[in-house]
Amino acid sequence: MSFTIILCYLALLLFLGVFAGRLLKKNSGDFFLASRGIGPFMLLMSVFGTTMTAFALIGSTGKTFAFGIGVYGLMASWSGIIHAAIFFLIGAKVWALGKKHGYVTQLSYFRDRYQSDALVLLLFPLVVSFVILYLLIGVIGAGRFIEGVTPETFSESAVVTTVPLAAAPADLKIPEDWKDRVSIKNGELSVSGSLHPKRKGLFMKLSKAPEWKKAVGGLMNKAPRGAVPKPAGMAIVCLVVLFYVFFGGMRATAWANTMQTLVFMVMGLIAFYVITDELGGPVAASKKLLANEGKNSVMAREGLIGKWQFLTYCFIPLSVGMFPHLFQHWLTAKKASNFKLTVVAHPICILITWVPCVLLGMWAFGILPDGTNPNAVLGMMVARYSGEVLAGLIGAGVLAAIMSSMDSQFLCLSSLFTNDIVSHHFGKGEISDEKKILLGRGFVVAIVLVCYLIGLSNTQSVFDLGVWCFTGFAGLFPILFAALYWKRSNKQGAIAGVLTLAVLETTGYLLSLSVHEGEFLILGMMPVAFIVTITTAVMVIVTLLTPPPSDELVEKFFPAKN
Amino acid sequence: MRILVICLILLLAILHQDWWWWEAKEPLVFGFMPIGLAWHAGISLAAGLVGLVAVMFCWPDHLDNEEEEEAGAETEKEEAT
Repeated sequence: MSFTIILCYLALLLFLGVFAGRLLKKNSGDFFLASRGIGPFMLLMSVFGTTMTAFALIGSTGKTFAFGIGVYGLMASWSGIIHAAIFFLIGAKVWALGKKHGYVTQLSYFRDRYQSDALVLLLFPLVVSFVILYLLIGVIGAGRFIEGVTPETFSESAVVTTVPLAAAPADLKIPEDWKDRVSIKNGELSVSGSLHPKRKGLFMKLSKAPEWKKAVGGLMNKAPRGAVPKPAGMAIVCLVVLFYVFFGGMRATAWANTMQTLVFMVMGLIAFYVITDELGGPVAASKKLLANEGKNSVMAREGLIGKWQFLTYCFIPLSVGMFPHLFQHWLTAKKASNFKLTVVAHPICILITWVPCVLLGMWAFGILPDGTNPNAVLGMMVARYSGEVLAGLIGAGVLAAIMSSMDSQFLCLSSLFTNDIVSHHFGKGEISDEKKILLGRGFVVAIVLVCYLIGLSNTQSVFDLGVWCFTGFAGLFPILFAALYWKRSNKQGAIAGVLTLAVLETTGYLLSLSVHEGEFLILGMMPVAFIVTITTAVMVIVTLLTPPPSDELVEKFFPAKN
Repeated sequence: MRILVICLILLLAILHQDWWWWEAKEPLVFGFMPIGLAWHAGISLAAGLVGLVAVMFCWPDHLDNEEEEEAGAETEKEEAT
C-alpha cells in the first residue's frame, strides 16, 4: 500500500513534467531559466525546497535522537538567520547582475567579473564534484528509503538463500503460508525469495533457540533485500526527475519544487499530529520523557554538543550562497522585489518543518531502544504509530524533499557544462539554442549514470564525504562575497582563494579519516571555520599584493550612483 | 535604518549562543517544548521579523527601478524607430 501511494506521487510528477514541457518555448533561456518569469511564492518554494534535502525530515529526527534538541539551534536556527541574510545581500544583487548582463550560471558571472577563464576552469571541476557529492546523498538516500518502505516478507525472486542450521529447534513453528518458502534439511536452512531486514523480528520469534537466532541473522545478511531493492529505487527516482527536467526544464523544476516543498511540509506536520496523538498528546509525551532520568538528557545540550561547535556551525549555512543550483534559481525571478517574501518566510518555513521533527526525535529517544540507527528513527515511529496509508504519504514527503533538490542539481550541472564549457570554449557563441538544450540533456544523462554507478558501490564513504561538500561550498563563499561587494577584488586573489580551498578541503578530509567516532572537530570547532578564515585571508592578501582590476571593469560592476 | 538592521542581526547571532540554557530541560514552554528548543524556535521567528524590517526599510529598490528604466528606454527607442 505504501509503495502504491509513492508510485501515484511519482506518476503525478511525470504528468507535471509533460504539462510543463508543452509550455516550454524552444529556447535555452526558457529551458535553463524559465524565461526569468518566476513569481514570489514559487521563488520561495523553489529556494526552500532546494536548500532542504531528505535531511529536513529524516536527518533532523535522527540527529535529535542522537544529539538532543541542540540540533535545532545548530542546524536550523543558524540557517534561518544566515540564509535570509544571504538571500537579501547576495540573491537580489545576483539577480540584478544576471538580468543586466544575461548570465545563465554562476560561473558565467565569475568569468565576467574577474575576466578569467583560468578561474572558471579551476572552479568547474570543484563545483561539479561538490554537486555530484550532494546529488549522490539524494540518489542513495532515495534508494534506501524506497527499499525501507517496501519491507515485504517474501517478494518474488528466484534466489534461494541457504545458511547452516544443524536441525530444526524443538520449539520451531513455521507459519502455514511460509512452508513452501522455508525448509530445513541436510544441515541447512533455505529460504526462497527476497527478504527485508525489517522482517528479521518475524523470523526471530519463530523459536527461542540460540542456534535459530544465529541462523536467521546470517540469513538476513545474505538474502536479497525488499520488494524494491536499492538499485531499483535509485533508478526509479533518477528516471522520474530526469523525465520532468528533460521535458520541462527550469519551468517544470520550479513547479515540481513548489509542489514537492508543500508536500514535504504538510506530510511532516501530518506525521507529527498522528504520532503525537498516539503518544497521548505533546504535553503527556514530554512529561513522560522528563520523568525518565536515564533518557531525558536529549532535552538539553550538555554532554551532547560542544559550545564552540555550536558557535562555529554558523559557517556551514554560508554554503547556500555558493550552491550553483540555487544561484540559477535566483536568476529565474521576475523582479528583484520577488526576493522579499523569501527573505521573510524562509526562517519561518524552517521552523514549521524542523520543530515537529526535532520533537519527534526527542520523544523517540525515550521510546525506541538504544543503538537504533538514527536514520531509521522517523520510519520506525511512523511504522509504530500509524497505518500503511500514512507511511506511504510520509514516504512521498521524504522523496519530495530529496527530489526537490535533485532536479535543480541536474539542471544546474547541465547549464554549467553547456554554457561555461562547451558553448564558451568550443562553440564560441555559434551553438544554436536547440543544440544547447540537447547537449545539456546529454550531460545530465551522463552525470546521472555516474551517480547511479557510484551509488551502487561503497555508499557509506559517500555519505562521509558529503559533509565535505557543504564545507567546500562554504569555503568558496568569501570569493563570491568579494566579487559582489569589494571593488578592489581581482582574479589573482580569487584564484589564490580557490586553490587554498582545494588544498585545505583535501587535507581536512584526509585528517577526518582518522576519526572513527563522533564529528571531526579542530580544537572543539568545526573545520569549516578554519577553512573559511584561511581562504579569506589568502584571498585578501594576494589581492592587495597584485594590481587592482581595470577602471572599466570596476565601472561595469560598481556603477557610480547618480 | 540599515545600521539598526545590522545591529539586530548581530543581536540575533549573540542570542543564538544561549549558553545560559545549556543544561536546562525545563521549563517546558506550552507544556511540551524544552526551553532550549523553544528559545531557538523564537530565534527563527525573530529572524523572520528582522527580515521583514530589512525588506520594508532597507530594500535596494534601485534594482527594480534600473530594470524599469531600461525597459522604458527600450520602448522609447522602438517607438522612435
